[in-house]
Amino acid sequence: MDNGMEAMLETYLYETNSLLDALDELLVNDEKIGDFSSDDVNEIFRSMHTIKGSSAMMEFNSLSTIAHHIEDLFFYIRDKGIESLDPEHKKELFDLMFRSGDYLRSEVQKVEEGSPLSAEAEIDSFANEINAFLKKISNVADESAEEAAPEAPASGEKTAVPGMPDDPDAAAFLHIYLEEGSGMENLYAFMIINALQDAFAFRCYPPDVETNPDTSAEIVENGFYIAFDSQDDVEQAESILKSQAHIRSYEMLENPGKKAEAAAPVVSDTKAQEAPPAKKETPASAGQAAAAPAKAPAAPAKAHAPVKQNLISVNVMKLDSLLDIVGELVITESMVTSAPELNQLSRDSFDNFMKSARQLRKLTDDLQDIAMSLRMVPISGVFQKMNRIVRDMKQKLNKDVRLIIEGENTEMDKNIVDSIQDPIMHIVRNSMDHGIEETEDERIRAGKDPQGTLILAATHTSSEVVITVTDDGYGMDPAKLLAKAAEKGLLTKPAEEYSKKEALNLIMLPGFSTNQTVTEYSGRGVGMDVVKKNIESVGGTFALDSELGSGTTVTMRIPLTLAIMDGMKVTVGKSIFTIPIANIMQSFKITTDEIIYDDYGNEMVARMDSFYPVVRLHRFFNLDTDITSLEEGILLWVEANDRSYCIFVDQLIGEQQVVVKPFPTYLNSFELKNFGINGCTILGDGSISIILDVLGLYGAAVTEK
Amino acid sequence: MSEQTTNVNLDAEEMSAQEEASTVKRCLSFQVDDLILFLSTDYIVEIVNDYPITPLPMVPSFVKGMINLRGQILPVLDMRLCMDKPPAEYTGKTCVIRLDIDSVPLCIVIDSVCQVLDIDFQEVRPIPVKRQQKLLNGMIDLGDGKVMMSFDCNVLLEKRY
Repeated sequence: MDNGMEAMLETYLYETNSLLDALDELLVNDEKIGDFSSDDVNEIFRSMHTIKGSSAMMEFNSLSTIAHHIEDLFFYIRDKGIESLDPEHKKELFDLMFRSGDYLRSEVQKVEEGSPLSAEAEIDSFANEINAFLKKISNVADESAEEAAPEAPASGEKTAVPGMPDDPDAAAFLHIYLEEGSGMENLYAFMIINALQDAFAFRCYPPDVETNPDTSAEIVENGFYIAFDSQDDVEQAESILKSQAHIRSYEMLENPGKKAEAAAPVVSDTKAQEAPPAKKETPASAGQAAAAPAKAPAAPAKAHAPVKQNLISVNVMKLDSLLDIVGELVITESMVTSAPELNQLSRDSFDNFMKSARQLRKLTDDLQDIAMSLRMVPISGVFQKMNRIVRDMKQKLNKDVRLIIEGENTEMDKNIVDSIQDPIMHIVRNSMDHGIEETEDERIRAGKDPQGTLILAATHTSSEVVITVTDDGYGMDPAKLLAKAAEKGLLTKPAEEYSKKEALNLIMLPGFSTNQTVTEYSGRGVGMDVVKKNIESVGGTFALDSELGSGTTVTMRIPLTLAIMDGMKVTVGKSIFTIPIANIMQSFKITTDEIIYDDYGNEMVARMDSFYPVVRLHRFFNLDTDITSLEEGILLWVEANDRSYCIFVDQLIGEQQVVVKPFPTYLNSFELKNFGINGCTILGDGSISIILDVLGLYGAAVTEK
Repeated sequence: MSEQTTNVNLDAEEMSAQEEASTVKRCLSFQVDDLILFLSTDYIVEIVNDYPITPLPMVPSFVKGMINLRGQILPVLDMRLCMDKPPAEYTGKTCVIRLDIDSVPLCIVIDSVCQVLDIDFQEVRPIPVKRQQKLLNGMIDLGDGKVMMSFDCNVLLEKRY
């Protein structure tokens, strides 16, 4: 039972969080254009509907209430078409939606933490806000509808005479007043009528109360009538009404048949005929609403198309074991296809066997590719969230900043992506808050584009993913930082002995914050040191570079661990090494007279008018190989971080996408990284290949000499 | 872990005190050169055979390389080389035993596996010679003239051999 609940909660949290993420992304994108597409309106409506439903099921009332109100709002917008909103309202709507999204998210977080959800009052005030907005736009829409067709015989408005409908058959009426300020009177009336409809026959006045939005104003004002043929029905109906939301009050009235002349029929006959078909639309939801009276009334069933899920969540453990099994499958496959017994087959059957074997190989290869890619997710999810943060801060801080995102498709292991989100967020906030100039004037005076720029970029290099956050703001002043650090007593040596880099790095000390005032976003002095720690916990490094007056760049280098990269397989003796393709500039053969020696006998070759040292892999790693003369093997011209040199190997085997695996823990103490060995990977045939770190190899092989 | 290894050197009393707590244990016995060793099966995950060993440069010679065991990459240590014995060709009898020592997985290469037997650790005596093998922390007389040595795999992690 408990387990079932937990699993359900997990699913709920996952689903809700992904919906909210999607909502955020959608809002940010739409806000850039300044408009909602109708697809997006539908999308929001659907996600709110889902959140509402699942929250109600889990009995998270605050969530379901708010989601419900947003759903109402979007039901209206969808109904009217987004075009009916003027830009002013749209802007307000965006704001409201962002806040709603945040509100829901904060509630979800409370659920995650197991803390109590918001109190009723808080929910109500927020719900009222949404309702108020809905009312505002619906009033405007009504007005404009009136303006558009003033001469049309709009019976709804014209017969807004308070009074009872003329219905001689009716035994009694129920006069229902809806909640004020809901702005969704038609929808509510519709839901009430639906709930009643199953139970018995009745007529309502105005008859098109649930379909004609024009009558909403009237309903608000005067309520609406439901006529029943028998007194019993009225009593039953009363009990149903008690369970319905949004009813302010209702009264039961005996039919004053003889006073018919006092009250004019509210609507014309033609309209009355339109009503019945509309009623049949959603018997299901009516049943639901009646059956679950405690819940918020369900929206009409046709309002949501089934949400198609393209994603499923899988436990990472399962993925790992899948990868392992596929790995073994590949080995076993090659064991089978290379079994010596095959030689005893006749030629024909051997050919047949090989044909099938090749097919099997292709399938296992594909399977392996897919299994490998399962754990990888693009970093775009994290980057998109930054979009949102920049957008919010732009408004709060009143700064005009453009966020440029590069390389968002860079793939990383899921775990790493999760753990770098907070650090990136922190840095972006810092850049927005402290980095970018306070005012446009300030920027113009400094000769910059009045609009600030924030660049968020991710790239793959040989051994790591590099994420940079660059702003073109103030930049950091080492002197100021030093003064500040001195004031806080953080200096460990005389200030004049600090290099610029060291001074910049002071910002990463715990308890350091240069901003005078603490803002909502940053300035509490728990910033950069936490960021640094977080990055280091996933094995990354963190570097700052800043030019006073022209901006700051924060560079995070995250090791690939499980990242996929393109590698070139090369052999040296019996070993297979993998060199990241990204580092390889060129591969070439040379003749003896192209080799140049320095006074120590170090070999060099000339490429593109420059000279590069040659690193013989077999010599450096002490491997046995038959190919020891530079003429026989092949040279790879590689480059990493402005270090360029040539690696001498026996031969190239080919290119392959590989998953970088860290070395087993036991081997960590040998500090293989210092020798340019970065990790290893499992090749298609199950053998292990060592991945070279071009930069590390340079450090070990060239500089040491 | 380190306790167990430091008391190898001398302190017999402390050692027997420790052994009282751990009474009879199921052990695997195996041969390395002319030595017969035993190791508690608690440390042993499985015996693997026929996995190609990928050599690794820039490491001491006793690290033979790595194997890919169902997607897990494990280091392989040659026990002969760890104990300064002459290296031997790997034959069909050569066995790779996968160990899990304090959650650190690694494989050792031994000459051959003998049997699984129960050993009362109370009967394990310290090695009387001063210059004993560092990887061994005791010996036991099985009564039929055979003597087995207790293999201390924790030392492998400390690389003090």
